[in-house]
Amino acid sequence: MTTAITAPIYETGFDNTADDVLRQPVLVTGHATYQEVTRKVCRVAEAPRAPRAWYVCFAISLALLALLMAMIGYELFTGVGVWGNNSPVDWGFPIINFVFWVGIAHAGTLISAILLLFRQKWRTGINRFAEATTVFAVACAGIFPAIHVGRPWFEYWLAPYPNIMGDWPNFLSPLLWDACAVGTYVTVSTLFWYTGMVPDLASLRDRATSRIKHTIYGIFSLGWRGSARQWHIYERANIILAALATALVLGVSSTVSTDFAVSQIPGWHETIFPPYFTAGAIFSGFAIVLALAIPARELFGLKDLITRRHIDNLAKLTLLLGSMVLYVYLMEFVIAWYSGNMYERFAYLNREFGPYWWLGWGILFCNGVVPQVFWFKFARQTWWLAWPAAVLCIMGMWMERFVIVVVSLHRDFLPSSWHMFAPTWIDIGTLAGSFGLFFTLFLLFCRYLPMVAMSEVKAILPQAAVPHGGGQTARSGAKPE
Amino acid sequence: MASTTSTSSTTQEVSEPRLFGLLAEFSEASNLISAAAAIRDAGYKRWDCYSPFPVHGMDRVMRLKPTVLPWMVFAGGFAGATGALALAWFCNAYAYPLIFSGKPYWSLPANIPVAFPLTILLASITTFFGLWALTGLPRPHHPLFTSERFRRVTDDGFFIAIEATDPCYHTATTTELLRRLGAIAVEEIKD
Repeated sequence: MTTAITAPIYETGFDNTADDVLRQPVLVTGHATYQEVTRKVCRVAEAPRAPRAWYVCFAISLALLALLMAMIGYELFTGVGVWGNNSPVDWGFPIINFVFWVGIAHAGTLISAILLLFRQKWRTGINRFAEATTVFAVACAGIFPAIHVGRPWFEYWLAPYPNIMGDWPNFLSPLLWDACAVGTYVTVSTLFWYTGMVPDLASLRDRATSRIKHTIYGIFSLGWRGSARQWHIYERANIILAALATALVLGVSSTVSTDFAVSQIPGWHETIFPPYFTAGAIFSGFAIVLALAIPARELFGLKDLITRRHIDNLAKLTLLLGSMVLYVYLMEFVIAWYSGNMYERFAYLNREFGPYWWLGWGILFCNGVVPQVFWFKFARQTWWLAWPAAVLCIMGMWMERFVIVVVSLHRDFLPSSWHMFAPTWIDIGTLAGSFGLFFTLFLLFCRYLPMVAMSEVKAILPQAAVPHGGGQTARSGAKPE
Repeated sequence: MASTTSTSSTTQEVSEPRLFGLLAEFSEASNLISAAAAIRDAGYKRWDCYSPFPVHGMDRVMRLKPTVLPWMVFAGGFAGATGALALAWFCNAYAYPLIFSGKPYWSLPANIPVAFPLTILLASITTFFGLWALTGLPRPHHPLFTSERFRRVTDDGFFIAIEATDPCYHTATTTELLRRLGAIAVEEIKD
């Protein structure tokens, strides 16, 4: 294949993090021809055997998934009493885990959708990957409200349908809001993810060597031909889905926060909650994409597509969102003091100096202090600093959900109703098991689906740029030669 | 020539292969653009360009009309918003009115948390199905899939296909035109 425009070659591991305002940043390193991009991404799905580390991770994930199934089965047969939830902390681990996983889900859509709307070309290396975390994290999130209602086989009561009792669902109930928000989120993020994947599935179809692979990838690629008329509509549809998903990201987190904010509990009854939850959600999502991208690019040989610049940018965004979260934490204290409301003041003093003081300070450390290391390029570029920092951020966000749910509930207005919360081993097993579900799905995705959006990466290669003169000639109708 | 091996579908009971048209391969995205401009000026109507990624500016060169998709999405979103609000009103104010915490039976702000996601949901579903309806997919078999060369369209191949049903089509002159425009290979596609 001769190339008319010879692309500059940046060796694998080329440091493309420098910001030179005079030049376009290098977004793909290595010998980046179109064929190389296809080969690098497809070879993961086409390899007869995965790397050994994949099998080890997959075995652990499957074991945790089995644990999740066992825990849910036990809970369904026995009743919600197996959890630590009890008055006054009636919302225990299920809601903590739900809000946590919804938060994790947010970065995928955000990276993909908002960066697409802002035409940030570097997103192409990581968007597929991030969208996958969204879909799988929402799947994990959806489990918890479903089992928390106690009798999931009556969940169809949430749907408005004519029934023998003559009643209709209450549209002012946060339970119904959650069902609408999460149901919409899982649908839209899956549609967005799948739509983006169709041209890449067609690549796998056209390279398939066995009949069965050809048929399966052929069915899911819908007969995609990459014609200009198809691309024309496809690009528009992708932008529309991105715009809808962006609005939805902000909407879902706000809805989840409203579940809390419409109540009277000190620590919940706050107008700052919708932006607070959204910032925290996106923060935890960036942290998990960072934590997954660092090992995945090593393990699957994708260092040229998910480059050092991608890791650098992700770390910077984690820093930005972490700083916003820190600002909200501090603002909550200021408002509690400034409100003059004794219950509100007590809730925040109790958060830092009450029986759960270590969690109160823990979230300030993990979400406020730890991301600040990303001010330093050395920390952004050193995996043994960036990876633990990202994991600490994720843990910090789980602790934040614990603080919001449990610490606010365990001491409300009346001291006689105060009580401590302790999770049972079922609670802890279900939480651990939800990670098993997430990683099982994620590892299957890494193994069998295109992990990087090939068609989008190809479009940002230097040789894909059509000289502006070409368009001019075309418009004026002059024939070449 | 059209290869008979490993096509995506198995319609091999060919009585008499019908001529689909000509498939020309180009080496680069920029060549594809200039060739497309020339083919448009030559008056062809039933033709298309094929590339592994959307080539910037191609819709302008091919004079593709803006798609109606955004209007379909708007209709979907509008149906979602009005449908959700109407449903909330029907359930809580008409069919089964109950007082919750002394709030009115129906008010707009309180119903936004349901109306907003349903608006997005219907708009997104319309986008998804509208996209495939407008692009004519899913379509398991297409005459171009009989070409072994065309499999590279999802890897690094740039193609132009001119259909035999085009009024300007004439195998010899069209082949000649494509070659003159810099095609590195031209083949007849039969289905």
